[in-house]
Amino acid sequence: MTDFIALQTAIIKGKRDDVKAIVNAALEAKEDINALLDKGMIPAMREIGERFSRNEAYVPELLIAARAMQAGLAIIEPELAKSGRKSLGKIAIGTVKGDLHDIGKNLVAIMLKGAGYDVIDLGVNCDIAKFEDGVKQGAQIIACSSLLTTTMAYMKDIVTHFKDQGVKVIIGGAPVTKAFAEEIGANGFSDDANGAVKLVDGFLKA
Amino acid sequence: MQELSSIERISRQLKHLPVDRVGLMESFWNHTVKHWVEQGKMPADQSAGEHFGLDIGTCWAFNLKVDYKWVDQLVAEDEDTRTFLDGNGATLRRYKSHDTTPEHINYSIADRAAWEERAKPFLTVNRERINLDGYRSARQRCQDKQRFFCWGGVNVFEAIHPVVGHENMLLGMALDPDWVKDMADTFADLLIGLMETMFAEAGKPDGIWFFDDMGFRGRPFMSPEMYRELIFPAHQKTIAYVHSQGLPVIMHSCGFVEPLLPSMIEAGIDCLQAIEVKAGMDLLRIYKQYGHKIALMGGIDVRPVANNDLPGIEREVMAKLPLVMGNNGFIFHSDHSIPESTDYETYQYFFNLGRSIGKYNN
Repeated sequence: MTDFIALQTAIIKGKRDDVKAIVNAALEAKEDINALLDKGMIPAMREIGERFSRNEAYVPELLIAARAMQAGLAIIEPELAKSGRKSLGKIAIGTVKGDLHDIGKNLVAIMLKGAGYDVIDLGVNCDIAKFEDGVKQGAQIIACSSLLTTTMAYMKDIVTHFKDQGVKVIIGGAPVTKAFAEEIGANGFSDDANGAVKLVDGFLKA
Repeated sequence: MQELSSIERISRQLKHLPVDRVGLMESFWNHTVKHWVEQGKMPADQSAGEHFGLDIGTCWAFNLKVDYKWVDQLVAEDEDTRTFLDGNGATLRRYKSHDTTPEHINYSIADRAAWEERAKPFLTVNRERINLDGYRSARQRCQDKQRFFCWGGVNVFEAIHPVVGHENMLLGMALDPDWVKDMADTFADLLIGLMETMFAEAGKPDGIWFFDDMGFRGRPFMSPEMYRELIFPAHQKTIAYVHSQGLPVIMHSCGFVEPLLPSMIEAGIDCLQAIEVKAGMDLLRIYKQYGHKIALMGGIDVRPVANNDLPGIEREVMAKLPLVMGNNGFIFHSDHSIPESTDYETYQYFFNLGRSIGKYNN
């Protein structure tokens, strides 16, 4: 029987080989693979997110944990698909038109995936049409990121465009504030990657 | 006190000695200046620093690329962007219409083995890495006008990530710290060797302005402990060399780097620059806690300037400048740089406000 605490610890410490070994052993023993996710991987990534919020973990620790989880996930993904497991929800994420800065966006994508969501990464420099592609692929939430004061204005166009389409638009990035989010009518705002997960939880995990 | 030259003013401010007024300095996006020139607001043959009479002049003279002779190769182009392969083997995408940090597409040197084989052996001191003519000319222009002249350039954090990429560097910090230490030490030695060559051949500047963006919104990229272990030794080494030449060090860092400041101060910085408000840096708090140990430059929120909000500019300047000029160690500068949305007249207003409020009644 899998030691879920050991799996969580291996992910939090970024021990990719340990994660692979634990996951492979569970597969060989024909254990419930959903439990690997629900009791091991996802809680581990949520824990590292909490530590990130408390400044007990920084970007390097977040990256190695995500890398370790990804190694385990890659092993069980074929089985997960067969099991008919549904994700918690789908989010399309991208930096807005004119903005090529993707470090923050990538961190949010990592944390959302780690929390059990499907993430459609639209990349950088996304205009409304690109976000629409994400919605066509089933995204329930659009997450927009901007590093520059000059590009954040485009977020208003995105919010306005998707206002009556049943899609939530959440925003973030260095110059973005709660006040700005309220002013443009965005559905939510977060100032860090873990906060973005909580925001999405609020919409999709109720 | 009679009016000081810029060299006297900034040199004194970096030591917290009395001055006639706060120093004035600013960074501008290239397109901001281009825009103003096109509008006929300033001449094309003058830098913004010279035009506004800013106290500090800089020259970035080093080429730290692995292959310093490489000319960037265009590998793709669309309506808005151009994608280049650079001398580090990195593929980067840039906008045609405005200045911004490029998108990082790919890094061919991504791990220790590639670094040891294809980067480290080539990162050696060579005078061809230095734009000596540009440095001499910028230094002379500053000397002629008695402006404080800095050699400006990246320190090790900003030297490493263009080679291996941010993500590989940060992963390496956690997974292979000795590799990151080796990269930092290699670049520290290269920087020192290049400074030695440049000073010997073209003279010393008045100060050194290092650039190492180590933070983002609300936090540094790495923990203070990781900074201490991996980057601090290289900072300490390069700064000690600069101090051995009798020169002060200004350190620029974007993002929230407050948790790193005690170690940065121990590494020897004389001045912290940028103090980015939107990342969470609070000039007044930092002044109170560290203003007696180092000089500060920046920390005035650029957003009202970028929005051409004159009352907002006045509120921001009045809320901070009268307080932080108290110990002579504050140099007036926005918390980042002046973007192209800023009208020429708006910047002039901001500058003039800093100049008039920043006068001392000695």
